[in-house]
Amino acid sequence: MKAAIFDGIVLGLQYGLLGVGLTLVFGLAGVLNLAHGQLAVLAAIIAALTIDAGSSAGVAALVGILCAAVIGLLLDRTLMQPVYRLRGESRVLLGLLLMLGVAFVIDGFLEWRYPIEALSLRIGGDPVPILGVNMRVGSLWASGIALAAGAALLFFFRGTTTGRAVRSVIQNEEGAQLCGINPAFVRGLIFALSGALAGLVAITRSMTSPVTVTEGITLTTLALIVAVVGGLGSVSGAFLAGILLGIVDRVSSFYIGTYITTIFLLAAAAITIVVRPAGLLAPRR
Amino acid sequence: MTATTARRAPGRLSLFRAYLPIAVTAAVLALPPLRYHESRTLMGVLVTGLVFACYAIAFNIIFGSTGQLFLCIGALAGVGGFASVILSDEVGIPMLVSMVLATALAALVGGLLSWIAVSRSLDVIFTGIVTLAFSLAFSSLLLGRRDLTGGESGLRVQAGADTFLGDRVPPYYAFLAVVVAYLVIYRVLQRSHIGWAFRALRDDEMAAELSGVDVRWYRVEAGVIGSAMLGFAGALYAHSEGFIGPSTYAFGRVDIRVIVMLAFGGIGSLLGPVVGAAVFTWLDEWLVSFIELRVLLYGAIIVVLFLGFRRGVVPTVHAAFRRLGSRRGGAGTSGSTTQARAP
Repeated sequence: MKAAIFDGIVLGLQYGLLGVGLTLVFGLAGVLNLAHGQLAVLAAIIAALTIDAGSSAGVAALVGILCAAVIGLLLDRTLMQPVYRLRGESRVLLGLLLMLGVAFVIDGFLEWRYPIEALSLRIGGDPVPILGVNMRVGSLWASGIALAAGAALLFFFRGTTTGRAVRSVIQNEEGAQLCGINPAFVRGLIFALSGALAGLVAITRSMTSPVTVTEGITLTTLALIVAVVGGLGSVSGAFLAGILLGIVDRVSSFYIGTYITTIFLLAAAAITIVVRPAGLLAPRR
Repeated sequence: MTATTARRAPGRLSLFRAYLPIAVTAAVLALPPLRYHESRTLMGVLVTGLVFACYAIAFNIIFGSTGQLFLCIGALAGVGGFASVILSDEVGIPMLVSMVLATALAALVGGLLSWIAVSRSLDVIFTGIVTLAFSLAFSSLLLGRRDLTGGESGLRVQAGADTFLGDRVPPYYAFLAVVVAYLVIYRVLQRSHIGWAFRALRDDEMAAELSGVDVRWYRVEAGVIGSAMLGFAGALYAHSEGFIGPSTYAFGRVDIRVIVMLAFGGIGSLLGPVVGAAVFTWLDEWLVSFIELRVLLYGAIIVVLFLGFRRGVVPTVHAAFRRLGSRRGGAGTSGSTTQARAP
């Protein structure tokens, strides 16, 4: 049981890291980025190719993350411009459909050029006992990075002027503009940040299991569910939702196993949304 | 991409003008088999196109009319398909009865989802995610209940194979009849008091509520009707195809395509779903020759199409006709041009 919970937390931190990139872009730009998982896979493949070219794993990881950030920024500066001119439901729909197109393009490109490429950054070493549970070194590294990223994000949004500017745009775009904040700059920043987070999750994920070309859609769906359960736009909510869903996943697969686990996970997500539509951490209505 | 508020309500159109587009569509869609009847593959593609048109019309009632983003189009069709096949092949109920029961089951499930969304007043995205969760749960149920559904390898469908559904051309006309029937249902709904309620709640939900429209009830009603249509189309497809598996109704294969088709054709328009299904079925078939590049090109085309036709083809064409008409006829004949713009 304890092992299952620990595994759940490890998995959940990855879920949280996955969801947080998507939640930020939605909270800020009103765009549901259906290419988020594909962006992560793209970063993984770029990192794998860099390793193939002979560089060290650390450099390759940085290259992958940086490329994902640049692609995020490019998407914001080009394809998303017509979306920002719309409002309400049509904005959500156009953003979603364009990003779906981008997801197809990335998937199609990777399956065409690098069908068998995969990123696997196995970290060796004996399992480390924590509170009597043996944890793999790769899992610990992945969790540590996810925690550090979460803490850095929280510090950025609470402690720095730029971070506060971003939050002000999330809360009230026009009001922020009146205070001299440039929403276009903030959006570019968040798209790049979200891309970098997608790249980062690809790197941490590859520490426990290989990231393959076809994984994009699975990652996107997971990110979507985590982000919505945590409340769209909330960083700590995404991590909390990720950890909860991770624990549900591991514990139910430990006790019940088989396909019921997935159904449990999805039911947990659906029930959370139905009970608290505004997200886990939202104030009660 | 919402329904244009300025459009004249279809309830005001004369009977002839209201149903003429459906008759023309039926006549045009009756033609392809005359040319392609010899090829089993091409007839299969055409049937799939019609099935997607059915899905898109049903989704148009749920999403286009009442704004509920049901991301479980394939799952509801799958509920219909698998229920009908299991009831007829395993339990031994006659095919027609099993199809009716399966349709009712799909309607019940869809109505339940709709009721949950409505009673918790979930907005577009939250409804989308809850129904997406249902979709994914359904697909893992299909994989898990191997004894009933055949797991990944799927089921061979016996019922229906010995009827006309097992032939080459008749299934096409059967599905054409379903498409026409669905279009008529859509039009009848639009022209009835339900259509007025749908338009009212799409235009301004608060105002509709205040003027006595029971918004929740009409949403659930749309959910039930649309889900029944999805379930029936899914069941008929299962019996005519002779084989169903998890991929037949998978989210990636059905839902994404239907949404793209409907958004391209025009959400909330009568013929948008059919136009979208036709264009994307043709596109799919054309892209087959590019084998490896297919997915990449598909994505690129989606991006380009949506940058160009943001409101959908049918509404864009209508707007163009309207501009043309008003320029030619001037203010004096504005009556006839307003009639022409309703789809």
